[in-house]
Amino acid sequence: MRIAARTAVLSAVVALLAGLLGGCGDLSRGELSRGVESLSALAAQGGLVAKGVAEDGTKATYARVMAKTLGGEAEHEAEKLADAEPEAAVEAQRGEAVAVARELAELFAELQTYPGDERHGATVQKHMARAKAQADAIAEGLTGEEQ
Amino acid sequence: MKAIFKIALGIIAAVGGFLDIGDLVFNTQAGALFRYDLIWAVVCGVIGIAVYAEMSGRVAAVSGRPVFDVIRMRLGFGPGLIALVASTLVNVLTIAAELGGLAIILTLLFDAAFSMFVVVAVLALIVIVALLPFGGLERLFGYGGLLLLVMVATAIDQQPDWGAVAQGLIPSLDSSPLYLYFVVGTFAAALMPYEVHFYSSGAIEERWTEENLKENRLNAIIGYALGGVLAVSLVIVSGYLFHPLGVEPNDLGTVALPSQVAFGETGLLLALGGMLCCVGGAAIDSSFAASYNLAQFLGWEWGRYRGPKKAPRFTVSWLAFLAVAVMIVESGINPVEITEYSVVFSVVALPLTYFPILLIAGDRSFMGEHANGRIASLLGWVYFGVIIVLALASIPLLLITNGGGG
Amino acid sequence: MSERDSIYIVHRLLDEQILDAEGRRCGRVDDLELRGSPPRVTALLCGEGLYPRRLPRGIRHLWRRAIGPERWGANAVRIPWEEVDSLGSTVRLRKKAEELGLGEGDDPERWMVRRLPWN
Repeated sequence: MRIAARTAVLSAVVALLAGLLGGCGDLSRGELSRGVESLSALAAQGGLVAKGVAEDGTKATYARVMAKTLGGEAEHEAEKLADAEPEAAVEAQRGEAVAVARELAELFAELQTYPGDERHGATVQKHMARAKAQADAIAEGLTGEEQ
Repeated sequence: MKAIFKIALGIIAAVGGFLDIGDLVFNTQAGALFRYDLIWAVVCGVIGIAVYAEMSGRVAAVSGRPVFDVIRMRLGFGPGLIALVASTLVNVLTIAAELGGLAIILTLLFDAAFSMFVVVAVLALIVIVALLPFGGLERLFGYGGLLLLVMVATAIDQQPDWGAVAQGLIPSLDSSPLYLYFVVGTFAAALMPYEVHFYSSGAIEERWTEENLKENRLNAIIGYALGGVLAVSLVIVSGYLFHPLGVEPNDLGTVALPSQVAFGETGLLLALGGMLCCVGGAAIDSSFAASYNLAQFLGWEWGRYRGPKKAPRFTVSWLAFLAVAVMIVESGINPVEITEYSVVFSVVALPLTYFPILLIAGDRSFMGEHANGRIASLLGWVYFGVIIVLALASIPLLLITNGGGG
Repeated sequence: MSERDSIYIVHRLLDEQILDAEGRRCGRVDDLELRGSPPRVTALLCGEGLYPRRLPRGIRHLWRRAIGPERWGANAVRIPWEEVDSLGSTVRLRKKAEELGLGEGDDPERWMVRRLPWN
């Protein structure tokens, strides 16, 4: 009796682990969707920070540190999306998402280098808005196909 | 007249000192994720701390017993020790969160290495505590925290849909785990026990007697109500600006962004300055609370008013708690994450320190005519029930939502 | 004194803060010495060495192994009942803490506190 119980528990644990480990690295539609939403959120915040720089309505240190932090998050998201194994159906969107994430990282890097320059601020703000639109489009595409 | 003036100043300091990093983080996130829907949870938490603080202040003024004296006396050594250990662990996490927050705000203002600012911050706090008397500390950080009134100004400037804001005052229980996690989080961030432990010991530091009971009640009602307005304004400004954009506030700098958008550099500096003062004050309050609790439980001499020579163990333990907190921050964990853990765990430990105070506050043999009246008793027991529910729900929700990550 | 009164005293006496003649906090009533029949409080006991007595058995052994046994005069002090001056929300003693061997942990000589800059 006890051996049977132990085997049952062991099989359950193994199945659970297999599920978890196998699941790691698989990028489902839902996970990609969340990742893209994060990118849209980063782009939105980046746009606000850049707008502050463009209008000379913020402190350069604040803009630089925010750009560094948010840029790091964009980089992290880019790596996460690039490393994962996407489901076949969302492979194309995954590629687009990684591209957006990489562009965001570059934009934040530019903001970090020129945190007091109004011209750069305006450019970054414009590109951030475009990147956000791209991310939103990818997200819509993902949920649209779900229906 | 002079007495009213003094009480008013005390209330003003209480308003400025109301917020800490937990409120800044959780309320901003709540607004961004759920717009105005969680305002009721913030308000509930504010009323909760007013209830807890008023009882503790009254017990201290009438019986001369601060919170951990009551705990040792009412729970005895064994269970009381559990309360002490739990409370200390939570306090140390909180100190670390506040110190980390200070360092982040300093980097936002002056952009140098974060780990350097952690050390700078803690040394500055030690110097300030050494130089200022107890009342001066409260006033410095309390008045400085009032800079955060820029948040209220931002909310008014944004001209949100006030009808929608008002609707947020009506409790609603969305079934999503993330929403429930933030119900617990915003409530717990408002009802941090270290604040009450500090307040109760502070009453004894300032040698309160029954004559201070009116002041105690005004602090609780007016002071915390106005502090609650500050807390709610965080939700509003974040909800108005961030929610439609889908911004996820994972960084402390994001808290100041709405004020920057509304009022430019001035708004930004007021917000950051206010954040610096309220987090700095909270670092002092939480570190003192940790030492107060330890010394009171064990019977050591304690108190800023005694000085390091007469209360050496109290002083050394205070420095030791700061040192441990510094180590936690320098270990590299994101201070925003430390904040989330400190808030969630604090509500788990809350019933242990709340219950003895509730019992003593209602006990006529200790409190005489100043025992809980009908309203205080009702509120006290209702909140005890609420706290138990939240204490049980908090860690499961933390795990299910992966720390509010969704 | 009736039995109910003596139980009441134990309930209100144990774990109370001890103040010496000068009002200095010097420990808590960590245990009581009861002698005679009916039992009477003959001494207050104070000190870290007494904590294990207040803990459940399992933890008690661990604690004793870590911290060591009761050492009278060092980590456990006996305060005869006659030294108690009054009882209120604290226990006030007739003598100063040093005379009774209490509060040694807060003796500034023991700490480098004197050398700190603001002293």
